[in-house]
Amino acid sequence: MTAAPLVAGGRPPARRGWRERDKYWGMAFVAPQALGMLLFTLLPFAAAFLLAFTEWNGFGMPEFIGFDNFADQLTSPLLGRAILNTMVIALVTVPIGLFLAIVAAVVLNKIRGRAFYLVLFFAPVVTSSVAIALIWQQLLRADGVLSGSLTRLFGIAPIDWLGDPILALLAVCLVTIWASLGLNVVIFMAGLQSISPSVMEAAAIDGAGPVARFFKIILPLLSPIVFYQSVVAFISSLQTFDLVFVLVNNAGPDNGTRTIVYHIYDLGFAKSQFGLSSAASIVLLGLTLVITAIQFGAQKKFVHYES
Amino acid sequence: MTILTRRRVGALAGLAALGIGLTACSGGNASTPTDGDAKVVWSTWGSPEELKMFDRVQDSFKEANPDVELVFQPTPSYSDYHSKLLTQLSSGTAPDVFYVGDDRIASVIRNDVLAPVSSSSLDEGDFAENVLDVARWEGELYALPNDVNPDALWYDKEALKAAGITEDPAELAANDEWTTEKFFEMTGKLADAGLTGAVYWNYWATHDSIMTAGGGQVYDDEGAYVAHTDAKSVAALDEYAARFATGELKLADLLPEGSGEDTLLVTHQLGFLAQGRYTIGTIRGAGVDESLYDIVRWPTPDGKAAPTGVAASYLAVSKDAAENDAAWDFFSFFLSAEGQQLRLEGTGNAVPSIAGTDDIVLADGFPAHAQTMLDMRDLGYSNFATEAAVPDLSNQIAVEFMQPLYEAGSGAQETLDAVAELVEEKTAS
Repeated sequence: MTAAPLVAGGRPPARRGWRERDKYWGMAFVAPQALGMLLFTLLPFAAAFLLAFTEWNGFGMPEFIGFDNFADQLTSPLLGRAILNTMVIALVTVPIGLFLAIVAAVVLNKIRGRAFYLVLFFAPVVTSSVAIALIWQQLLRADGVLSGSLTRLFGIAPIDWLGDPILALLAVCLVTIWASLGLNVVIFMAGLQSISPSVMEAAAIDGAGPVARFFKIILPLLSPIVFYQSVVAFISSLQTFDLVFVLVNNAGPDNGTRTIVYHIYDLGFAKSQFGLSSAASIVLLGLTLVITAIQFGAQKKFVHYES
Repeated sequence: MTILTRRRVGALAGLAALGIGLTACSGGNASTPTDGDAKVVWSTWGSPEELKMFDRVQDSFKEANPDVELVFQPTPSYSDYHSKLLTQLSSGTAPDVFYVGDDRIASVIRNDVLAPVSSSSLDEGDFAENVLDVARWEGELYALPNDVNPDALWYDKEALKAAGITEDPAELAANDEWTTEKFFEMTGKLADAGLTGAVYWNYWATHDSIMTAGGGQVYDDEGAYVAHTDAKSVAALDEYAARFATGELKLADLLPEGSGEDTLLVTHQLGFLAQGRYTIGTIRGAGVDESLYDIVRWPTPDGKAAPTGVAASYLAVSKDAAENDAAWDFFSFFLSAEGQQLRLEGTGNAVPSIAGTDDIVLADGFPAHAQTMLDMRDLGYSNFATEAAVPDLSNQIAVEFMQPLYEAGSGAQETLDAVAELVEEKTAS
């Protein structure tokens, strides 16, 4: 018996026609996103990159000045302060935030009514950051609830949390951890539920206690998620802006909460120095790339991938 | 079923691009008349309470101009307002008529986005000349002051009494005996009594007034920064800085929320507060005895009056709205004697800037020496054009140079040298 002849590619012509059409549908669906990406990400990035080599106050034509803006920003004590503050925020909030989220996820994974607690944890994630900042501002002011409670309980003088550079930075860290906890908990809970119960049972049979199981089994198996979350959280911390802008009234006392993105905003929109502002944003990009590269380098040692 | 062809996909993409393009272009200058009526968009900054004072002037304008639609676009914060305004101006979407702060007006003018006020029906001769300088560029005037606020020293008689002070500052000033020495003697006694001597806002008018009240200069007639070469300016600043460092004098900006300058004043914990006419609202709002408060000008080494800074805000018309007659009508009405009367009488928050309206300040009889505010306005000066021509320069000087000086308590010469270097660098082009 002679086999039926096959068309090129092994598909009937009609089927190939459908694929052609699918391609255009695909393009149509992707187009709005691609257009948005082009207009609101790629073009602004290109514009910022070009502006970084110019002097421009927002009016008239930018004037090309070579690397002057980079020389200015790389020797700017204000940018140095902003980088220091931003790194403190990142280095405090990311490890503490992730650790608390893992602990909360492990606890919630074992209790009844977890949905209720998840809603409580997740509420700040779906709340406007401006609303969060305004509420915490009321709590942390010298005559706010927190200071008032401490004064009543311990008889100490009212503390102006937002009026002191160090306390204000700590306040930003505290609110950042609180606001991001819910999302991290949800993601870690999803990770915990993907761990096979048989692995945990085997460990228990072998005599591993809760602490040993947490450090020897749960953490290694969650490590890819921890890595992913740490990368995302670190990048997010480097972009801290809205919280400090509202919570601590711009850069806070003595620039105590001046972050890199606030510095970029201040140069561009308060001082109308868009060239310097763009140069600072390129510095932030470089910093983000370096830190992310370090994190990716470190993952080989600390992240456990199941084969 | 509709078949998606290459042409249709192209059309869809084109429509999407057009939609986004149109969206991006929206929110532009809204002066285009609608339904045959003219429309005027105007903007300013202020808290909800402060913005209420514009109700009467807007209502009155609408009543006299029923064919003009007035659109008010306020922004709560002063700094956010100017960030937004500059962005709107650079993208051609600014309101038709808008407020500009005295530390910003000169820089905005130099970007060629304002229409000269010669198109208005107002006579610039009716406005105090000393606060017009900053709004002038190459001989043309581009904005007029809405109103002004000389920072008088509001003093609390009860606090002075509690500190054992028996002399009345306003009476001393009337006799030209209101000297810097006498003032510091009083702030010292207030501090010894556990009270705050005086509170100032950290901005250009404070530093400049310290120096000019001390007999020194800040900028010369050609607009060059000379404070660092003027021994009197340096000495005056050092004297004040030393007292800031001990807490005898304080910056209002650094006072904690809830126990700020207003609270200190109305609870009799503060001797002197350098503020504008808006302090009337603070005192009346607190329901305290008004007769316990009065005002006095800044003290000087010889006790005689000297020029001090006069804070002002300016009203300007966008160049793009220059052909909009309704915009000029609103501009002229807003700044006219009638407009200022509607905005400032009663518990108004400022001193009028136009001739023939001084009764607004005096009619109420509070404070007892209200005439002092008018005298300070007439003798004083607006922010210097050299400084105001660079966006945020006044603020940078205040935050990055003066505040550290006040915290350190000494080093006025080094600080002023650094400020001179900054001003020279920023104004070099």
